[in-house]
Amino acid sequence: MSPLETFGDGFARRALLEAVMVGGLCGAVGVHVLLRRLPFFTMALGHATFPGVVLAGLLGISLFAGAAAFGAVVVVVVALLGARERVDDTSAVGVTLSGAFALGVLLLSAQAGFSRDLTAYLVGSIVTVQPGDLVTTAVVGAAMLAVLAALHKELVLGAFDRGGLAALGYPVLALDVVLLLVIEATVVTSIPAVGTILAVALIVAPAATARLWTERLRATMALAATLGAISGVVGLAISLQWRVAAGATIVLVAAALFAVSLLVAPRHGLLARRVAYRASGSGPVSASSRA
Amino acid sequence: MNLFEPFTIPYMQRALVEVLVLGALAGAVGVLVVLRRLAFVGDALTHTVFPGVVIAHLLGRSLLLGALAFGVLTAVLLTGLGSHRRVGEDAALAILLTSFFSFGVVLISRTRGFTADLTAFLFGRVLAVDRTDLLQTLAVAAVAAIVLAVLHKELVLRAFDPEATAAMGYRTRALDLVLNLLIALVVVAAVEAVGTVLVIALIVVPAAAARLLADRVAAMTALACLLGAAGGWLGLAVSYEVSVDHDIRLAAGATIVVVLVGLFLLAAALVPLRRRRGRVAGASG
Repeated sequence: MSPLETFGDGFARRALLEAVMVGGLCGAVGVHVLLRRLPFFTMALGHATFPGVVLAGLLGISLFAGAAAFGAVVVVVVALLGARERVDDTSAVGVTLSGAFALGVLLLSAQAGFSRDLTAYLVGSIVTVQPGDLVTTAVVGAAMLAVLAALHKELVLGAFDRGGLAALGYPVLALDVVLLLVIEATVVTSIPAVGTILAVALIVAPAATARLWTERLRATMALAATLGAISGVVGLAISLQWRVAAGATIVLVAAALFAVSLLVAPRHGLLARRVAYRASGSGPVSASSRA
Repeated sequence: MNLFEPFTIPYMQRALVEVLVLGALAGAVGVLVVLRRLAFVGDALTHTVFPGVVIAHLLGRSLLLGALAFGVLTAVLLTGLGSHRRVGEDAALAILLTSFFSFGVVLISRTRGFTADLTAFLFGRVLAVDRTDLLQTLAVAAVAAIVLAVLHKELVLRAFDPEATAAMGYRTRALDLVLNLLIALVVVAAVEAVGTVLVIALIVVPAAAARLLADRVAAMTALACLLGAAGGWLGLAVSYEVSVDHDIRLAAGATIVVVLVGLFLLAAALVPLRRRRGRVAGASG
């Protein structure tokens, strides 16, 4: 198969462009998600935007606006529930996630032709992206990357040393909210491509892969963005070639890159660790490296 | 609204028995999930049985067996998932969860008209539960309940004090595997009725509500079982009532979850009252 042939049609070219942009954006944002241990929260955001998307579809307003509004509600609800003494953060996220998701299903089940729309929301439908979606992705993606670049130093410091950030006089809470909103916008932007359930994969997997290869943060972000874009392109090509679901294939490619890296990456890969363990002859490396 | 009248119809009776059993079982297991803060692991298990369901469907075998095979596989994988410093357990979990799920989606997307099947697997068909499904659910639930009853003391100890558990000679890894398998069994038992995505609500929501209301593990467990079963009953009744009398179709599984979240919010609203009373009693004592 020649790449040009596969991406020859108009819809395939649009899908390719979308895959590259979404993959790159998700990869870069994912590094922050990992630094702050937010994968479960990101997952919840993906599920929680779902009723917003459905409502927007019903009301005929922009899906993006609906999802963003609901995502913002969820950020607040998780924060409020988690602040209670007897509800730990994980349970708060779990309750919010399942409640919001069920609400979306409920709203959608009242419609006719429920399962096809539902599938598109859940697992994405990248081959049907419209030129308008591409513009949205490009604008939102550029804006989010600009925010990350402008606040890079503050956000990184906040991830490692919140006390230090506060002592320097930065508004810690405001910076947290900014980051959560960036994550939310990223999730919402990825929905047309990979769907609500799988957006978290494109955010977490390339970033986790990049962290195995390099220790410098800027390099990690660049690598994660590249890996995200590569996953998008390769996944799309495979899905067009063998006619399987595009979003899911993209995720599988991202996961495969992670699995291979976990095995062979220098220093942090499992094989490298085994060699280092044998060479040192001292205590097990894995025990000393537990976070 | 009538809580009893809809359940004179045979399919509603079967659905009721199914959700009562599932609600109680998921509530009991859910207490351990909430105490151990394993909601994400529970969520992962609900997604990772999905390819098993799809493969069983494609091969024309029992969905329950397919789910069981993948449930056991991932329960073992999750227990072995050590924390790698550069990766982190939550990132590994997210990748495992989404890649298994994607595998299921890719497999099913090869078949024609797959969207209807996908919806059924994800959200279940509680109203289409037949006698065989019901018996299978009961069998799986019975196994899970027996394991839970036999090892309950050890599992609770493991949740509160892992060091003491290890010092007393219990194998914590084995207990972790048992809990993961229990979660997997609940997911497997529930897969045909409420689907893979909504099971997590049955597990987490009643237990989180019970934790707000009760101080002792035994009371919490009893309450979680009760809330789970009550949510199932109420959800079915509401979904039937609205669908039949008001002509708005509400998916039964999703209605149950929304009712459960409503019960949770009610519990959250009640707690400050209870707390204040407790403080007054403490001050006067």
